[in-house]
Amino acid sequence: MIELVNVRKIFNAGNPSEFSALNSVSLNIGENKITVLTGPSGSGKTTLLSIIGCMSRPSAGRVKLSGREITSLPERFLTDIRRKTFGFIFQQPNLIKGISVLENVMLPAYPLGEKRSHLKEKAMKGLDALNISGKAMAKVEWLSGGEAQRAAIVRALINDPSIIIADEPTAHLDTKLSYRFMEIVEKFKTEGKTVIITSHDPLVYQSAVVDRVIGLRDGKIEGKPS
Amino acid sequence: MRGWIEKQRYILDFTLSSLLRRKVKNFGLLVLYALIVFILASMMFFTYSIKKEASLLLKDSPEIIVQKLMAGRHELFPLRHIETIKNIRGVAAVEPRLWGYYFDTHAGANYTLLVPPAGGKIGKPASKTAVVETDPHDRAAEHAGQPLFRFNDVALEPGTLIVGQGMARARHTDMGDFMPFRAFDGNILSFRIAAILSSESELVSSDLILLTEGDFRKLFGIDNDYVTDVAVSVNNPREIATVTAKISRLLPDSRPIIRDEILRTYDSIFNWRGGMMIVIFSAAVLAFVIFAWDKASGLSAGERREIGILKAVGWETSDVIQMKFWEGAAISLTAFFSGVILAYIHVFFTGSLIFEPALKGWSNLYPHFELTPFVSLEQLTTLFFLTVIPYTVATIVPIWRAATIDPDTAMRHSGE
Repeated sequence: MIELVNVRKIFNAGNPSEFSALNSVSLNIGENKITVLTGPSGSGKTTLLSIIGCMSRPSAGRVKLSGREITSLPERFLTDIRRKTFGFIFQQPNLIKGISVLENVMLPAYPLGEKRSHLKEKAMKGLDALNISGKAMAKVEWLSGGEAQRAAIVRALINDPSIIIADEPTAHLDTKLSYRFMEIVEKFKTEGKTVIITSHDPLVYQSAVVDRVIGLRDGKIEGKPS
Repeated sequence: MRGWIEKQRYILDFTLSSLLRRKVKNFGLLVLYALIVFILASMMFFTYSIKKEASLLLKDSPEIIVQKLMAGRHELFPLRHIETIKNIRGVAAVEPRLWGYYFDTHAGANYTLLVPPAGGKIGKPASKTAVVETDPHDRAAEHAGQPLFRFNDVALEPGTLIVGQGMARARHTDMGDFMPFRAFDGNILSFRIAAILSSESELVSSDLILLTEGDFRKLFGIDNDYVTDVAVSVNNPREIATVTAKISRLLPDSRPIIRDEILRTYDSIFNWRGGMMIVIFSAAVLAFVIFAWDKASGLSAGERREIGILKAVGWETSDVIQMKFWEGAAISLTAFFSGVILAYIHVFFTGSLIFEPALKGWSNLYPHFELTPFVSLEQLTTLFFLTVIPYTVATIVPIWRAATIDPDTAMRHSGE
């Protein structure tokens, strides 16, 4: 489903501080699979994830999505792909402060101009599925860490994406909540979604629901996939 | 189309909630911004209205005023010259005028003394110099087009005065009181105040005293063969220049002043006053510009992160810019309209309370008057383009720069 060919990412190119985050990474990620990218800090996991999720462009190499080359697409098309294909769950919940949980959840759907009543219904259903519908009208700064994480998950799902991308999703969760997160991930799989997670949490990459673990070190894929 | 409208609604909703989220910053900006617009608009309304009012008042003043000069100074006009002017083709009427100034040491004020035309009955349509005619197409002029001196048909009799409101205030006098004047020969002449002029005409009549011709001549020692100057009416306005040239030729020691010259003088006086106020406030304007530029052009880490989140969850660069554009537009438009409305109230309802001394004062007697509202659309548009547009543009540029970078970079560089 996702194919990366010789992908490189160089930050601060041409400057004395130039460094290479990814070095010739080639990778195939299958549809309806749960893939975990693992490795120490600075290994390039998040960079790789942001390239896969069309959040940034590679400095070299190609990225294909369902056979379609997306590397050279203009920003507008990349945004459209990002909006319709990917749902993002960040290391931090990255919710916008000062507005309600419901509004935060509905944010990705605003540019699509969906009817407000439908959108609200969809958002409430999502919040209900993760047991936080009671906090729909609360401001995000009043949420606990777990609630904020779940709100971020509902936001990632609002446009019904086929691929879920999660960057260190359990980094700020306790063990119980981390298990709860993995249950949600399993549910995504049963719904036919593809999930790509970066994590160095054994609870994630050793989980039975994970189909494939890819190790990264110094911007390169190490060893053979498990 | 429906989707597009719904999308705009969502963006507007989010913009408004964004504004409310940064209440303190936005409110402070709004207050400062509105204050600057208020100062500029007050100045604009005031100078424009007063110029308009003055021009309406002068609209029916004589086309030409002829003074006699002696060594380049204004001198009394001999009545015998009137016939010479009357004989010029195109001259409709020549009216002698008697007027002068009197410095009241007691009040420290300068009064304008005037012998009303048509023997003391003032405000009648026949007396062209005293009445402003109403332009039927100009609604605002209806208010301004009232007789300059209105009182209940009190006829001026020898030994009486009709005085302006400013003068009555300065001397704490009222109808029936007597007022002493020191004549040219040192004698004291006492006049009874027969009436006080209406307050509507205070712009021009605040310091005015009307008296009879006999009393005027007695007070200043002016011979019966002389007047202060003469007012010349011309049948065809296009002949004013020709008539003026003929007067100059026939009476080489005279100086004909045409109405347009008086209007130009008024214009420059009020432009100068307005300009002076703007210079005084330019420091405030400059401070605001620096403040607004700083607030508008700098993006906080929180705002940068927010843009990153919006882009990451699928907002296009254009959506982000549109949102921030509405945010800037909402602040600047609210400030603009509040400033303009407050300035309107300030100038036309409170009599320019704040700028009164600088803008109105032209003698020791400050006139108390309410201006008839005149608003120049052209000036309002200029003010709009000088305030709303620069601010909105200043907000867009940094947003555009932040919104065009990768969402990943925007989020990484900001931190939580």
